[in-house]
Amino acid sequence: MAFGGYPPPEHLLGDLGMEAELTTESSARVRTRVTPQILSPGGGVRAGVLATLVDIVGGALAARVLRPDWMATADLTVQLVGPVLGPCVEARGSVLRRGRTTLVIEALVVGVDEDGNDLMIDGRTPDPVAWASMTFAVLPAQNPASSVQMAAELPMRWAFSGGGLDLPILEALPLTVLDGAAGRVSVPVRPYLHNSFQAIQGGVIALVAEAAGAEALGAAQGGDGSTVVVTDLQIAYLALGKVGPIVTEARVLAPGPDGRAGAVVELRDAGADGRLTTVVNVTAEPAALFSRAAS
Amino acid sequence: MTTPPSASSGVGPDAGQEVDRRRHVSDYFRLERWEVPAADGGSPSTVFGRAPIDAHQRGAGGGFRTGGLLTSLDSLGGMTSGLAALPQWIVTTSLMATVSELAHVGPLRLRADVLRKGRTSVVTTLEVFDEGADDKQVAAATMTCAVLDANGMSFEFPRPLILAMPELQPDPLAPEEFFCIEPGEGLVTRLRLEDQLRNPWGILHGGAVAMLADEAACRATVAARGGGIGPDGVAATDLVLHYLRPVKVGPVEARCQVLGTRGGRSVVRVAIHDIGADDRMVTMASVTVLAI
Repeated sequence: MAFGGYPPPEHLLGDLGMEAELTTESSARVRTRVTPQILSPGGGVRAGVLATLVDIVGGALAARVLRPDWMATADLTVQLVGPVLGPCVEARGSVLRRGRTTLVIEALVVGVDEDGNDLMIDGRTPDPVAWASMTFAVLPAQNPASSVQMAAELPMRWAFSGGGLDLPILEALPLTVLDGAAGRVSVPVRPYLHNSFQAIQGGVIALVAEAAGAEALGAAQGGDGSTVVVTDLQIAYLALGKVGPIVTEARVLAPGPDGRAGAVVELRDAGADGRLTTVVNVTAEPAALFSRAAS
Repeated sequence: MTTPPSASSGVGPDAGQEVDRRRHVSDYFRLERWEVPAADGGSPSTVFGRAPIDAHQRGAGGGFRTGGLLTSLDSLGGMTSGLAALPQWIVTTSLMATVSELAHVGPLRLRADVLRKGRTSVVTTLEVFDEGADDKQVAAATMTCAVLDANGMSFEFPRPLILAMPELQPDPLAPEEFFCIEPGEGLVTRLRLEDQLRNPWGILHGGAVAMLADEAACRATVAARGGGIGPDGVAATDLVLHYLRPVKVGPVEARCQVLGTRGGRSVVRVAIHDIGADDRMVTMASVTVLAI
């Protein structure tokens, strides 16, 4: 299914094979299969992929709740809790508050089976994979007749289908590391990565920030982007990245206990006079620590 | 500019009100603040702050406890966003902070810059440096504020705005006592809404909400871990706060769910409710808590 032709046939969301469901007027869920292409060096699903799931579940929910108005993502946060234990991972979103100018959504990310059912391990449901939140700015409809058409009946289900990823997701973007220690990476703006405004999609921005932060934080500890695992993303979306390439820089904060450390990653649209599009606070921990804690 | 211009005091939106400033939230952490106008005269000002870390404000990590740091960030970011929005005013809608270093030396220097000022919102970035530890950056935050109609209120400030550092009080209160957080343990923590915790608009100060989220998440982590905490206890690090509605009545209750623990790190969901206002949810927070 596509909303007004979005996403196009060749698109990252299709290759992630997401399945979505609006379950009620104020809740929705989106899931994808866990494959090696979306895993971090620590063995869990990348925080940026989880952010992409959250972005889709939040966007679907916001489109439903706000219709005929539209929305722009203002911020998105993801905090990893534990590893994914199921064959699939699912983001479950619900509305916290719908105001005149903003909509706030909360999402829990959990491991599930192929049918989206909760896992049971040793007689109990495992801990969630992550907690997430989103804020949307409400954009009043200029022409309600042209708003996204949605079926009235619930539940409403659809899927983004594609050929699947045959490369690690960062290579599929493709993301280029320019200067790891400085957190400088680059990614093109192309239809494969577009959102419905023909700008780079919010989940892709999370992936780019995750990679840039990991490179800088890994280098600060004598390694590289593969030696740390990003556990927290706090993303403030300031402007659309429509021209590209999107380039990043990172500023590393003082390290904390157990090698946990943070960085601030700035994303700029190099083709639009270096316009600042996004600021992301990134927290990571050593991959060895993440793996040990998860085992 | 990293040193404040000499000035005796400033005037805030609460000037002239019957508030004992020695007991006001904005002054409890002794944050001095000074505005530096943009060179082009048209862009929003940068606002700096500096705060000592008084002994009673240090947390389990040895430095400024995170709830207190967020209170200072809320005060500095609010001032920065508010000045950018004049003649309208603002209310904080979200605060996202990562605190990488918990063992601060102090004093801390803070800086706030407006990233974007739109018709309905202002986004501000905040940085925290530890001047006593080679000026290392120890925290970063992003604040979003909604722009409000001033409703006939006018805000008169001498510009650039400068707020001097309040004096250290004799026998200062511990944060839990100052913020009227009731003693207790477990998954629920309650705050009494006393007048000193209200901002000039009569609602609970956003910093008090941050302090409640910090304390509640730490208590919940201790309870969930069954005592399996570090030798120095636990401390909050990363926080996400979504201010959904103003807190007007009280008491205020923070209801926690420890989502999971890996190694020494726990993630706690904190739903904060205004019991006296039909128990409505007023803030949703997520807090990362570390065993120290």
